[in-house]
Amino acid sequence: MAAEYVLHTAHLYGDLMNTYGDYGNIVAMRFYASQIGVDVDVELISLGDEFDDKKYDFVLFGGGQDYEEQIVAEDLKFKADAIKRYIESDGPLLGVCGGFQLLGHYFLMADGTRVEGISVMDHYTLNQQHSRFIGNVLIKDEVNGNEYRGFENHQGRTFLGEGERPLGKVLQGKGNNGEDGGEGLVYRNVYGTYFHGPIFTRNGNLALHVLQTALERKYPEVNWAEKMADIKPEAF
Amino acid sequence: MSLKSALATFVGKSSYVVLHDILRRGGTSLPGKLATKIDPEVMTTLAEKYDVILITGTNGKTLTTTLTTRVLREQFPDVITNPSGSNMMQGITGTMLTAKVTGKSHRPIALLEVDEANVEEVARQLKPMAFVLTNIFRDQLDRFGEIYTTYDKILKGIRLFPEATVIANADSPIFMRGDLPNPKVYYGFNHLPADGDMKAPHNTDGVLSPTDDTVLHYHFMTFGNQGDYFSVSDDFKRPELDYAVTKINEMTPRYSNFDIDGETYQIEIGGMYNIYNALAAYTVGRFLGVTTQQIHHAFESNAQIFGRQEAVNVNGKEVTIVLIKNPVGANQVIDMMKTDDQPFSLIALLNANYADGIDTSWIWDTDFESLKDSGMQAIATGGERYKDLYVRVKMAGYGEHPVYQDLKQIVKAIDEMPTKRVYIAATYTAMLQLRAQLAQQGFIKTGMGE
Ligand SMILES: [Zn+2]
Repeated sequence: MAAEYVLHTAHLYGDLMNTYGDYGNIVAMRFYASQIGVDVDVELISLGDEFDDKKYDFVLFGGGQDYEEQIVAEDLKFKADAIKRYIESDGPLLGVCGGFQLLGHYFLMADGTRVEGISVMDHYTLNQQHSRFIGNVLIKDEVNGNEYRGFENHQGRTFLGEGERPLGKVLQGKGNNGEDGGEGLVYRNVYGTYFHGPIFTRNGNLALHVLQTALERKYPEVNWAEKMADIKPEAF
Repeated sequence: MSLKSALATFVGKSSYVVLHDILRRGGTSLPGKLATKIDPEVMTTLAEKYDVILITGTNGKTLTTTLTTRVLREQFPDVITNPSGSNMMQGITGTMLTAKVTGKSHRPIALLEVDEANVEEVARQLKPMAFVLTNIFRDQLDRFGEIYTTYDKILKGIRLFPEATVIANADSPIFMRGDLPNPKVYYGFNHLPADGDMKAPHNTDGVLSPTDDTVLHYHFMTFGNQGDYFSVSDDFKRPELDYAVTKINEMTPRYSNFDIDGETYQIEIGGMYNIYNALAAYTVGRFLGVTTQQIHHAFESNAQIFGRQEAVNVNGKEVTIVLIKNPVGANQVIDMMKTDDQPFSLIALLNANYADGIDTSWIWDTDFESLKDSGMQAIATGGERYKDLYVRVKMAGYGEHPVYQDLKQIVKAIDEMPTKRVYIAATYTAMLQLRAQLAQQGFIKTGMGE
């Protein structure tokens, strides 16, 4: 029997950019959605595929390996306009690591090679030549006071731009760049992060927030806050 | 041999004697350290009299090496090999220093398992006549960065010896990168008709074509990124196989029965990955002139090799312990359990120490969901990172389930499982702790099988 409510998810380049279990974010989303009778389906959008911005209610853009990210960057240009439209119409999106970097202006690989992003948002990413930020991270969302836990593993150092705020203030770990004390980003309904873990699995409160945002955008007539009130978020 | 090398060898050997025979310690790294200090070239001198074959890759090195050693010993009187775990330069030096050969063969063989990151250094000193490449999957990325980096490290070693034969798993597309001038021998699977057209599932690494970086298609897949791949944008495809699995007759958790080049073989261990290991051993054997009859004989006596999957009797339960360390391996373990014709339970244990890989996110790429269509009756989680695994399994659709933080409770955990057959899948240090517990309570002899 088909559920009354369905969220259509696009997993951008899920065959090339899913290096650290990023798919788990969708598993978590589906886990919570199923508790309130909402289906979550997933479509893999890869090289050469069209991204239809009208079709999706949630987009996951995961991290990849340097090599794959360069290939994806080339293809992404052709999807840039549609992604921009999706974001500007308040579509919820989670960008992890490389997926988060490529939405900005550019990133530098460890060897200094510059890879162009699609500039749909205003951040950029520099490199570290001989080290990476690896380890546990704990941040505090300064808007709602929530704490988020995860594991970071990145050489990129990202600096936010116009209209972007960090997802949280770093309490433990390095965050975006190890300098300004911020981790991740929030812009409209876009969430960027270096967290693996993945972030929605370890931080149920954030998963529920994004799920509610997606549901309210698609089915504004329903009182989702009330429906979701009894869901217990996982946190570890 | 120069005086310096002779001295280095003498010091290395005698320190081994002291450590091994007098102090009764396994120590294979100290002798190597001492000898290399006296003569950094000691390895080259030692290796000169051997035909050296290096086996490397992410998964399956140890088993492939062990099985290949058996195969080669059918034909050659002197085959030396390194004990599992001693696959870095120091350990290999130790192996070479302390090796005993009968002197019956004019060229003894040194068949050595080498850590991916150590291939260049080991090759430079040992001058191998062949490299055996098993596969490259994502493994402990916190260590190496990515699979292409891992492969580059291997390539650096191979490029030093363009005359050495590369014996590669052709089902793994990454090995077609790099345009090596070396002679090649390819092995792989041809057990299904080559008429399908599919793409790898979403969380597979290394599926780009080496010619133009488009996503490869497959006529069929075995597991991970392996199979009969082809490009839709140009004429790149899997090369012709020299040796192939031509049929899979039966797969169970206890044994696999299959055909290689039309002849039937059986190994006393489950899992498709182990068929790959056997195929690699077969290929190296054939490459060196071992007959299929001899290979049959070697495989028939393989039961004792597979210590990692031995069944332990715990209060009447049949407990099988398996190591998991990355998503491809864990998914293979899951596929293997699914071939069980008896009802079973699973206890999954996760640690995140350095030897396990400190990033636990790979458990989300592990397909626990697929166990729903199997004979699995119950699942429990545990280990130092029990919370991560508990939520993983809960979100996979199993809901609330027993969780064991402390491995002292492991026997209780086993007792409480509803089935006679119990699998315990554990990461490396969790497995050590588990075995220590089982040893302490008298269910197994030692902490870790040697
Ligand atoms: Zn990352």
